[in-house]
Amino acid sequence: MSIMEYNGGSVIAMVGKDCVAIASDLRLGNQALGIASDFEKIFPMTDRVYLGLPGLATDVTTLREQFRYRLNMYTIKEEREIEPETFAHLVSSTLYERRFGPYFIEPVMAGLQRLPNGGYKPFIAATDLIGCINFAKDFVVAGTASSKLFGVAEGLWEPDLEPEDLFETIAQTLLNAVDRDAYSGWGAVVHVITKDKAIKRVLKGRMD
Amino acid sequence: MPDTAHEQPQQRQFYPYTENGGTILAIAGADFTVIAGDTRQSEGYSIQTRYAPKVFRLTERAVLAVNGFAADGNMFVKKVKQRLEWYRHAHAKEMPLRAIARLIQTMLYAQRFFPYYVNNILGGIEEDGSGAVYSFDPVGSYEREACRAAGAASSLVQPFLDNQIYFKNQTPAPGTPHPTYLPLPDVLAIVIDSFTSATERHIEVGDGLEMYVVLAKGRSIEELADVAGVQELTTRADGDRMFVIQRELKKD
Amino acid sequence: MFLTRSEYDRGVNTFSPEGRLFQVEYAIEAIKLGSTTVGVKTPEGVVLGIEKRVQSPLLESSSIEKIMEIDLHLGCAMSGLTADARTMIDHARVTSQNHAFTFDERIKVESVTQAVCDLALRFGESVHDEDAMMSRPFGVALLIAGIDELGPQLFHTDPSGTFVRYEAKAIGSGSEAAQSELQDKWHSRMTLQEAQALTLRVLKQVMEEKLDQHNVQLAQVTPEKGFEILDEVRLKAIIDAM
Repeated sequence: MSIMEYNGGSVIAMVGKDCVAIASDLRLGNQALGIASDFEKIFPMTDRVYLGLPGLATDVTTLREQFRYRLNMYTIKEEREIEPETFAHLVSSTLYERRFGPYFIEPVMAGLQRLPNGGYKPFIAATDLIGCINFAKDFVVAGTASSKLFGVAEGLWEPDLEPEDLFETIAQTLLNAVDRDAYSGWGAVVHVITKDKAIKRVLKGRMD
Repeated sequence: MPDTAHEQPQQRQFYPYTENGGTILAIAGADFTVIAGDTRQSEGYSIQTRYAPKVFRLTERAVLAVNGFAADGNMFVKKVKQRLEWYRHAHAKEMPLRAIARLIQTMLYAQRFFPYYVNNILGGIEEDGSGAVYSFDPVGSYEREACRAAGAASSLVQPFLDNQIYFKNQTPAPGTPHPTYLPLPDVLAIVIDSFTSATERHIEVGDGLEMYVVLAKGRSIEELADVAGVQELTTRADGDRMFVIQRELKKD
Repeated sequence: MFLTRSEYDRGVNTFSPEGRLFQVEYAIEAIKLGSTTVGVKTPEGVVLGIEKRVQSPLLESSSIEKIMEIDLHLGCAMSGLTADARTMIDHARVTSQNHAFTFDERIKVESVTQAVCDLALRFGESVHDEDAMMSRPFGVALLIAGIDELGPQLFHTDPSGTFVRYEAKAIGSGSEAAQSELQDKWHSRMTLQEAQALTLRVLKQVMEEKLDQHNVQLAQVTPEKGFEILDEVRLKAIIDAM
């Protein structure tokens, strides 16, 4: 029994054309027993930086609060909003601080990076539980259904998807992957972030 | 330096199994079946060979793919072929696909307490001319299905197949229901995409892809005319037809 | 033929100088004493008929079992030392079930017949560390009737372990007369009803007592209903219609 699989849950983030999407299931379980079907794992850290936290549920809550604290400190001191890449490094160092007694979480991040010319560049990243960052160009996955997410995403993703198409792609990837994982599912949520707005959609999926 | 003064007593034991990686996949159509497998054989981080077939022709219309522990897989195929030959001599006919499936179950279960460490997928044409896929667990539990992926990257491929073959989590446009079976070119494309995806994300998958296509008697082979590198394996002029198609996969 | 006993018929497995196995031949002779049994094959199915040979009016004729089911699609009738047939039929039943279990299909009629015949020559003296053998050959011949993918078939087996496929065959005491009658009257387009009538007429000819629904039995194998032994009501109806 792995502690990473105790509560279950999975998260995925994908890059599109001038947009990003991040999605997760809503299950919280106690091993095989399902407890909650409304356990959100994706949190907006700023308007343009979203953080997904799959893994041990107690650490999900703790890290959410930890990052809120550290982000607020950053914003106050720097007098500006944090950029996604910087936030990724903040996540990395926070996790590495606990190198020999880690948080049982594999964070997934999605956001829009400000460019010098005023435009925005889509950004995604993920880390392992001790903070090693993976800056991917296509998609990142984490959680109990990670191998299934890899398989479907690799089959369905293509570059430069428009926000509506990216939504469909990430939704199908998540739904079909979690349907093959006993510990993920029980509802799903997708956030699609563009430079003007962030839309949150709750998906209709299998509730078994 | 390890602390040798406070070590626990140890015992070494021979472990009879190992994992040789690789992935197999089979999809049934209305009157055809595709059975495919990559050709890489590995052990841990080493590649033992870039070309070790995992998919074998059993009869005019049956193909068996075996994956898991290669030694058990290869031996199992030899034993199945032997039983097929004995049956042919005893009953003056070739074993129908459902009979081969049941035979495989009894052969696997006979080793219930020292199993063949393999996942088998049997594909071919049933006696009624329909495409069929049978999948087995290492001790013989089996079921006929429309499609199945097995092996190292099965967790990557199977959900993709659920979406593309069974149209799970997809609602059809009103008035146009999802087709029960897909046409051959679509199925071949899905197989190839499944393996290229698996190769990307799983280290034990790659090097090459070998696909066997079995077509029911009387079915046109027109759709295979546009496919590159098709080799025919059919021996009888008046029966089902069988073809092999090879493709390269990434070698890293 | 066997007026003088020669020294070569002592050992059960010993060949005579002319190349004969006397015990096997004597076993075949034993069948000529048995009750008459008839089998007729048609495109619609196979009919089996037996003379029950009720030796006494106090004998419960329904207890005479000379036609037995092997599987849903196979049955057989016997003539000779009928007790010997129980082992053979049990072996046929086990073989049939094993085949269905292993191959998820019905066994071919010829295959089950071959399995039965494989038992025939397992007689003689057994060495102490090997499996025990029978002391003598079987003294019974079987008519095995069944339907498989090649259609309805009728096979005859005897103690030598040989089997031959027949369109129509009679065995037992009245077999000579019965067989020539069958040869005369059988044709390849017969219906099942015609075969039943022919079987009963042939039995009537060779039986001493008057034929009725108590001293004969009919069975048939058809694609629709498989193997069934006709009950006395149906049997009486067919007899009355003759």
